[in-house]
Amino acid sequence: MDNSSHLSVVLDLSPAQWYQSPLSLDSFLAQLLVFLNAHIALKHDNSLAVFGALPDKSVMLYASSEPPMDTPATSDPNCYPPFKRLDSAVTARISEQLEDPLLDVTTPSAIVGALTKALCYINRLSVATGLVDPRILILSVSPDLSNAYIPIMNSIFSAQKLKVTIDAGQIYGPDTVFLQQAAHLTGGSYLHLTETSALLQYLIMTFLPPPSIRKVIAVPTQDKIDFRAACFCHKNIVDIGFVCSVCLSIFCQPTPVCSTCRTKFPIKTLQRLNASRPLTISSANNSARPTPVSTPRSAATAARHPPMSAESIQNGSGTSAVANGSGH
Amino acid sequence: MEVDSDSDISLDLDHQSSKAKGKAKAKAAADKKKADKGKAKAKEQPYVWEASFARSWDTVQEDEAGSLQASVEDLMARGRRRRLLAPASAIRRTIIRHLILVLDLSASMMDRDMRPTRFDLMLQYAREFISEWFDQNPLGQIGIVGMRAGLGERVGAMSGNPQEVLKSISDRVKLEPVGEPSLQNAIEMARNNMSHLPTHSSREILILFGSLTTCDPGNIHDTLDTCVQNKIRISIVALAAEMKICRELCDKTAGQFGVAMNEGHFKDLLFELVPPPAQRAAARSARPSGTNAGLNPAPANPAADLMMMGFPTRLPDASIPSLCVCHSELKSQGFLCPRCLSKVCDVPTDCDVCGLMIVSSPHLARSYHHLFPVKTFTAIMKDLDVAPDAADACHGCTRIFPERATNAKEGMSPFRRYRCPDCENDFCSECDVFIHDVIHCCPGCGK
Repeated sequence: MDNSSHLSVVLDLSPAQWYQSPLSLDSFLAQLLVFLNAHIALKHDNSLAVFGALPDKSVMLYASSEPPMDTPATSDPNCYPPFKRLDSAVTARISEQLEDPLLDVTTPSAIVGALTKALCYINRLSVATGLVDPRILILSVSPDLSNAYIPIMNSIFSAQKLKVTIDAGQIYGPDTVFLQQAAHLTGGSYLHLTETSALLQYLIMTFLPPPSIRKVIAVPTQDKIDFRAACFCHKNIVDIGFVCSVCLSIFCQPTPVCSTCRTKFPIKTLQRLNASRPLTISSANNSARPTPVSTPRSAATAARHPPMSAESIQNGSGTSAVANGSGH
Repeated sequence: MEVDSDSDISLDLDHQSSKAKGKAKAKAAADKKKADKGKAKAKEQPYVWEASFARSWDTVQEDEAGSLQASVEDLMARGRRRRLLAPASAIRRTIIRHLILVLDLSASMMDRDMRPTRFDLMLQYAREFISEWFDQNPLGQIGIVGMRAGLGERVGAMSGNPQEVLKSISDRVKLEPVGEPSLQNAIEMARNNMSHLPTHSSREILILFGSLTTCDPGNIHDTLDTCVQNKIRISIVALAAEMKICRELCDKTAGQFGVAMNEGHFKDLLFELVPPPAQRAAARSARPSGTNAGLNPAPANPAADLMMMGFPTRLPDASIPSLCVCHSELKSQGFLCPRCLSKVCDVPTDCDVCGLMIVSSPHLARSYHHLFPVKTFTAIMKDLDVAPDAADACHGCTRIFPERATNAKEGMSPFRRYRCPDCENDFCSECDVFIHDVIHCCPGCGK
């Protein structure tokens, strides 16, 4: 570990989520500040930036390149001045933001905004000074925000381009699919905290070492990684989706027209997909794509009901798919 | 002595620039607006052999204070203007692309007008192009065809794996240029390579052409007509000069044609072909609305289809080993099909058990920035537009804005402020470029 490293921390400060969390924001901050101090103490020229994701907005809380102006001049003789500056700046900025009367606590926090700001800041520093191994640590308490799927993926790809490692820690609540993917795609580690009282230990053991020395120490590896995506129509997170071949938009159910590029899909495809949807495994062999006339049974059905409705075609293709499947 | 030779060259350059413009019309049109000599010097330099040595310092000019800031700003302003010309709204683009890269391996590629040789430079840029292309078109496929000794030669089969494609052109010795090129043979071979493709994918041919001749067995216009019929788009980057047949091939198939004037321009022309092309109006032959779809089984747009895809779960390397369904090997890592939970080794693939197309969703997401581009930021021009309570630092990187207006080139803000039309936050010029070119997401509005 010869080079100094840069760390940007993105804090999820959603009041609604922190209210429910078993860990209070105060004790979280106390442990976090120890971790941040540890980072700047590791190496003299380690740099640090802290971003806060508040409901509907994001703010930079601290950046080591531009020391805050309004720090109290009175220094504590028992405290290393950089620690003191960092701690007071971060806590002051957070309380200032959280006491904002205009803050709507119910809106989800703007993780994407904070993440993109962190990337902009890293871009600025790397143009100016040539950073080695910059990384971003996201500490989140909110569940996945599925309408932020595309911006999050875009930020992940730009992080890949900048060679930024993204680490993610989910402090409370269910696993987040997007942060898992972020960590996996950028070579960082994802941690889902089960024991919140040991937060500081988790932070130090997992996220303190820079990526260059993580190869030689055993950091927690990711368990399963969920590659699910959010659909464009209802913002559901889906594992089987319907994808437009023109623009690759994902939908959770077959739609006649692509909402993104206005492409109209052939009616046959819709019927086939609709037919195969409710029967998840039995009609799975739809790649054979049997046409209703090709099997005698559906031909008979068609003969009985000359004005063929969409319903009957659906049934016909559904049954013939099963028949075909068993035939093979 | 040295001073004399220098001035000779620059005179020569100015004299030649008018000729070069006549030669490469397409580029000249773009260059015409650039009144400032210094910023376009690299592009005005017509041929490398006319300069006795590389004068890379000519491309940047210092201002009175000896700073390079002005040159950097010029470059940025150029990028901004280019972006302004591009349509801001989402346009339909073909994303499942199939491209045949045709490399000229004729003797003319050994010319040294581009350093080190046209051939080496072409190989180097082709490699960069392929990596970048796969980055932006993750579901695309590339095949490679060479033109050598009057024949079309299959260098690499159509593949979706960048490593395979790169490997096929990694061996320089195997591709050693010889003989005459044959456009017709190469295009026919490329066309046959793509004849089996599904209708909803795009078919493109990109030719890197260094020769001024082509040696064809038949009438190349017949080949051109078949390409138009098969909706194959042909783009050509020529390294020597414009040939009528090349221009015609591109114009009739709605491709792009360009003549590279120097190394940098060659790269620019090539990389302009990386983003997916906007879909042609012909493919949008939508029927009038109100037609009963049930009566007419022909789809409105034969090129489009809805595909069912599954997004798998990746098993960690340390999980308990089990047999995969594709090779029947005992492995710990792998991907679980979301429908039948069988384990496959790699994605994208079709599940061997249930036939579901399994793709990794990040693959798809790589192309989404083409669909939802960030709106162009407006440059703040007037003093009035800067509100007294406006933030004094960039919303992205917290760089402090200058307090007073500075003189700026056309298209650049004298206050160095660029405002997002949606969230009305101000950004500095570096962040403006970075947000539009790399992140594709505005930090203020999160879209």
